[in-house]
Amino acid sequence: MAVVLLPSILAAEAGGASRFEPDAATVRDALQALPVANLVFDERGELRPLVNVYVDGIDVRGRDGVDTTLEGSETIRLVAAIAGG
Amino acid sequence: MSVFVLAGTRKGLFLLESDEERQDWSLEGPLLTGWSVFHAIVDPRDGTIHAATNNEVYGATTHRSADRGQTWTRAEELGLPEDTGLTLEKTWHIEPGREGEDGRLWLGAAPGVLFRTDDGGGTWQPVDGIVRHETRDRWFPGAGGMCCHSIALDPEEPERMYVGISAAGVFRTEDGGETWTPANRGTAADFLPDPFPELGQCVHKLLVHPTRPDRLWQQNHCGVYRSDDRGEHWERLEGNGLPSGFGFPLALDHRRPDAAFVIPEESAENRVTCDGRLGVYRTDDGGASWSLLAGGLPQPAWGAVMREGFSSDRLDPAGIYLGTQSGSLFVSPDAGETWLEAASQLPPILSVEAAEWR
Repeated sequence: MAVVLLPSILAAEAGGASRFEPDAATVRDALQALPVANLVFDERGELRPLVNVYVDGIDVRGRDGVDTTLEGSETIRLVAAIAGG
Repeated sequence: MSVFVLAGTRKGLFLLESDEERQDWSLEGPLLTGWSVFHAIVDPRDGTIHAATNNEVYGATTHRSADRGQTWTRAEELGLPEDTGLTLEKTWHIEPGREGEDGRLWLGAAPGVLFRTDDGGGTWQPVDGIVRHETRDRWFPGAGGMCCHSIALDPEEPERMYVGISAAGVFRTEDGGETWTPANRGTAADFLPDPFPELGQCVHKLLVHPTRPDRLWQQNHCGVYRSDDRGEHWERLEGNGLPSGFGFPLALDHRRPDAAFVIPEESAENRVTCDGRLGVYRTDDGGASWSLLAGGLPQPAWGAVMREGFSSDRLDPAGIYLGTQSGSLFVSPDAGETWLEAASQLPPILSVEAAEWR
């Protein structure tokens, strides 16, 4: 199964868990399975613009976005864009 | 009995606690780390804390805590229908429903929208009467976005309530939120070609008096106003002791309907305290005259108070609370006569609410 790693604010919202292993065919499926899916996606189901998703270190925006397919051994890391003060 | 103050800041929520004397305060927090708390309030029906929370990365939502802030639950469902073309921008204000309306709360948000929950904040349903209001194309955002920041329930008539939206104005419903009528007659919009339009006014804060339901108070971009007929007509209340009609926050004395408190700013162009001092102005005669109350407040000082950063409790004499953008929380235990700094060096304070817990 793929592994999803969450940053601290999302982990706090997920009850303190920062690591999930969803059974998912795509990045979207993996993220939708998270208890924080409505923080990662907006009300239209779009990935929020300041949420970066890396699959094995590669930004999914350079691949097929959240429709990028998974084989099952990937590490998906969510990283908040550096912004604000 | 304990008195609690909820100070929502740009970086989390702080809780202050005192006894009825309201002289010595303990400080707890930050809670809701990582979230800007635009507003937090205790539901007097069950003691649950509800917070309107926003994060630049993860969006707008609400949180609630049934154990005085130790653990929090986020809203499961909150959004706008796709066919409206609107998307949720920020959550601004949560207003608990009336006694007997178990689980009902109201949420004001941007872009100029209102939600209702009937399950205590788990799922929020958009209120179509506001979201699809026939005049929406004539609304426009203020500097803080097109925010629905004020929600005032008539304490006696269960179907009547009011909202304040910047810059659309005040709206009243007489049928529990199904339909809404603009209630801006007599309030100015000096920034528009018609200075007294049906709507488009920039209301900054709206409150209804809890013991005199027909009386509304309003701090507007263009003046301070009172209405004694449920918003049908408004009377402008300045030139009689107030150094400026411009300001954001407003507070009331729950026992005295002729009293109100404002914190004027120099002007719309220069949004700092008047005369270089942090000053609260109180009227005791329905707005006919205003007096400066600054005993214990800092001078010189130019830090402003946000629209939600001002509140009162229900004790006698009324406690008045204000939080500054520079992170100080000031308390007056005697209806504004004297002030003490209960906390300092907090992040910029966005909202202040008081609650009594027995």
